[in-house]
Amino acid sequence: MSTPNADIILEARAITKRYPGTVALDGVTFRAHRNCVNVLIGENGAGKSTLMRILAGVEAADEGELLFDGTPIIVRSPREAAHHGISIVHQELSIIPNFDISENIFAGREPVKAKMLLNRGTEDARSAAALRRLRKPMPVRTNAAHLSLGCRQLVEVARTLDQGAKVLILDEPTSALSTAEADSLFHVIEDLKRSGVTIIYISHRLNELLHMGDQFTVLRSGRVVGKAPRAEVSRQWIVERMSGRIASEDVARRPSFAETVALLEVKGLTLPASAADEAAQAPLHDVTFTLRRGEILGIYGLLGAGRTELLESLAGSRDAFAGEVKLNGVPLGIPGVASAVKAGVALVPEDRQRDGLIPEMSIRENVALASAGGLFLNRAREIDRVRELAAELNIVAKDLELPVTALSGGNQQKVLIARCLMRSPVLLLLDEPTRGVDVGAKAEIYSILRRLADKGLGIVFSSSEIEETQALADRVLVLCQGRISAEFSRAEVTDQALFAAASPVVNASTSISGVALA
Amino acid sequence: MTSSASLHRRPDRLGTSTVRTLLFLLRARAVLVLVALLVLFSALAPSFLTSNNLAILTKHVAISAILAIGMTFVVLTGGIDLSVGSVAGLGGMVMGYLLTQGISLGGMVHYPPIILAILLTIVVCLAVGLLNGWLVAKAGVAPFIATLGTLYIARGAALLLSNGKTYPNLAGQAARGNTGFPLLGQSHVAGLPLPVWIMLAFFAVAAIVATKTPLGRHVYAVGGNERAARLAGIRVPRVKLITYLVSSLCAATVGLIIASQLEAAHPATGESFELNAIAAVVLGGTSLMGGRGSVTGSLIGAFVIGVLSDGLVMLGVSEFWQMVIKGTVIVLAVAVDQLQSRLQARFLPYLSSATTDEAE
Repeated sequence: MSTPNADIILEARAITKRYPGTVALDGVTFRAHRNCVNVLIGENGAGKSTLMRILAGVEAADEGELLFDGTPIIVRSPREAAHHGISIVHQELSIIPNFDISENIFAGREPVKAKMLLNRGTEDARSAAALRRLRKPMPVRTNAAHLSLGCRQLVEVARTLDQGAKVLILDEPTSALSTAEADSLFHVIEDLKRSGVTIIYISHRLNELLHMGDQFTVLRSGRVVGKAPRAEVSRQWIVERMSGRIASEDVARRPSFAETVALLEVKGLTLPASAADEAAQAPLHDVTFTLRRGEILGIYGLLGAGRTELLESLAGSRDAFAGEVKLNGVPLGIPGVASAVKAGVALVPEDRQRDGLIPEMSIRENVALASAGGLFLNRAREIDRVRELAAELNIVAKDLELPVTALSGGNQQKVLIARCLMRSPVLLLLDEPTRGVDVGAKAEIYSILRRLADKGLGIVFSSSEIEETQALADRVLVLCQGRISAEFSRAEVTDQALFAAASPVVNASTSISGVALA
Repeated sequence: MTSSASLHRRPDRLGTSTVRTLLFLLRARAVLVLVALLVLFSALAPSFLTSNNLAILTKHVAISAILAIGMTFVVLTGGIDLSVGSVAGLGGMVMGYLLTQGISLGGMVHYPPIILAILLTIVVCLAVGLLNGWLVAKAGVAPFIATLGTLYIARGAALLLSNGKTYPNLAGQAARGNTGFPLLGQSHVAGLPLPVWIMLAFFAVAAIVATKTPLGRHVYAVGGNERAARLAGIRVPRVKLITYLVSSLCAATVGLIIASQLEAAHPATGESFELNAIAAVVLGGTSLMGGRGSVTGSLIGAFVIGVLSDGLVMLGVSEFWQMVIKGTVIVLAVAVDQLQSRLQARFLPYLSSATTDEAE
């Protein structure tokens, strides 16, 4: 046992957490330094969020202990964690949409008067005070459903402040924010740090981590693989530890496509913004590009840049867009998923669980879902075809009749790709093709996609990861606030150029390497 | 950042004030429909607006209003309680049993006094609510299925109690010391029938609980975003359980009132009452998805249904047409509700001055 270190406010010691089939955390020890921004980095599925959920009392560890100021504590619920001064702002914001700001800030811990009645006066005053501390005064009776994502997030931060948080966990706080919103969040973090709040910060955006972080911990596949203070950390250091290999791997050279036939022509695609209750739709402005047969086109952009909207427009699931989309020279008719599918367009959605898989069905049924034509199902032919595809995509499963949920993330993703291939598409769209997929499966999916492209399939994928965009794309379009801000060939792509083209502020002031398209 | 000019571009076609008025009318639609019905029926049937008729009407409304008030809490969490009609029937039968059969203890038959009998009845009905709540909140059974099951269970229990027969003469006997039960449903206080006062009391308490207490807010939170509510530390299962208890308490009250009015308990009492209650809740603007609605709306909704059915009876409209008209009104109400949410989602960000997100 080490002596209590006054510098460490919160320590998770030898934490192990198992899920059916995987070990999410394997004896992880994580220390949060007092009054620092403690950065936790790792690829998707490295165990970051699991560790944070354990710290915040949302989940329980199988083994290990938590120490606050050197004293062991037990947190069995978010309530108990908050009691110890540990609060979390989840990656998926947990705002109650039918509540206003102060109702959200006090949900579950309402101040009362006369022992039973809500005290709106106190709520509003304290909410306003917390928001002032964040330098973001807002009318506290504003309905949360009408707030931008950045404001919703600040409401959650305000909530933790009012709870008297000493340790504030921010789980990928900027993943959904615009650059301006992210900047103002960084100011808030600086302020909080100065006022004695310890921050635990999760992200995989290297730029902001290097900008914000004081202490770095890298997780890979449920283990700590690196720990260092800012002075010893470089971009190279992080990337090598995250991926577990030396950066700048070789990439298979692929031919140029300039002389090949155009497969997809998109001209002046424009989509209005909308602010429906659930997910706001980012607008698209005059998006024009061409995809050639056998080419893999990457769409890079920050969240809210319009990546998903672009792919879904092409797949026919967004109506009310203007512009022209031609496939093999033939205009795609009325928007509609069915007509797009008929024309040979298939989309692998971003959120597998929500928009892709049907968890109650078997692997085979999930693959065969949309391909069944005619009046009756031809079971034997279906089984043959699914088997063929499973072999081609190397779906690792003992039995195709097992529920699809028994598969790992990477194999589930392959199931969705297989489903698209069942319909023999000519254009395959993938929204974040390797979200929630481990490193090994990532590489495998990349090589599968390259093989498909070699056979003449046109592929458009969107990604918010620079590494992925570089690894997979023959050509990259950068989306920034709904416009194409740059185009790069494989040879031209660099981290800095991509990031600069995707960030609105930099984009306006400085010129960027690559071909700017106005 | 989008400029404010472009923010206001979209509603131009309709004009901001038109949209505002439209949204206001949609939100107040239950009241508007109620007023329209009152005007219509008093024009067509001169005796409709007499105080005598209105008193009868209100007494009818009280039954479905009390059920609707309890149902509102369940629906606000995103649930539904199909068992209320059966529970009302069971409540009446338990009361009838206690008043006419008594409880045999040690070979002696005891007849509990009215107050005790009422309390025992309520306890039995709350047990059904507890079962509903447990099934939904702890066992994870879908509310529709759980309460469909208890709908049959409670009705079966009511029939088993008397072997399907009616318990008559609930006036009680002085010799048994259990007279007075008819007062509950038949007496008047300050000129109004007692059931109407009971309805008003339930309404007042429910409205305060829903809008002024942490419990009420938790109900809305569970219906609005259950996951967020759980992460905020709200005990979601407990909140759900309470709503089903409230609903069955309301059902027990209705069962007692009906038994008292008839001075008899019939095991089929309350059949399809749950549908009237749900219709009232929906007409009152409460979303079946949960999170949105009000107790006041449900009260108004109950009045709409009550006025509609009594008015149609007075006009001599056939019972069959009444059903068609009632069904149409309910479907229209929900369709209009969808229209309202769509309009709100589309235009509210442009209308509300407090939309924030001002540039730094």
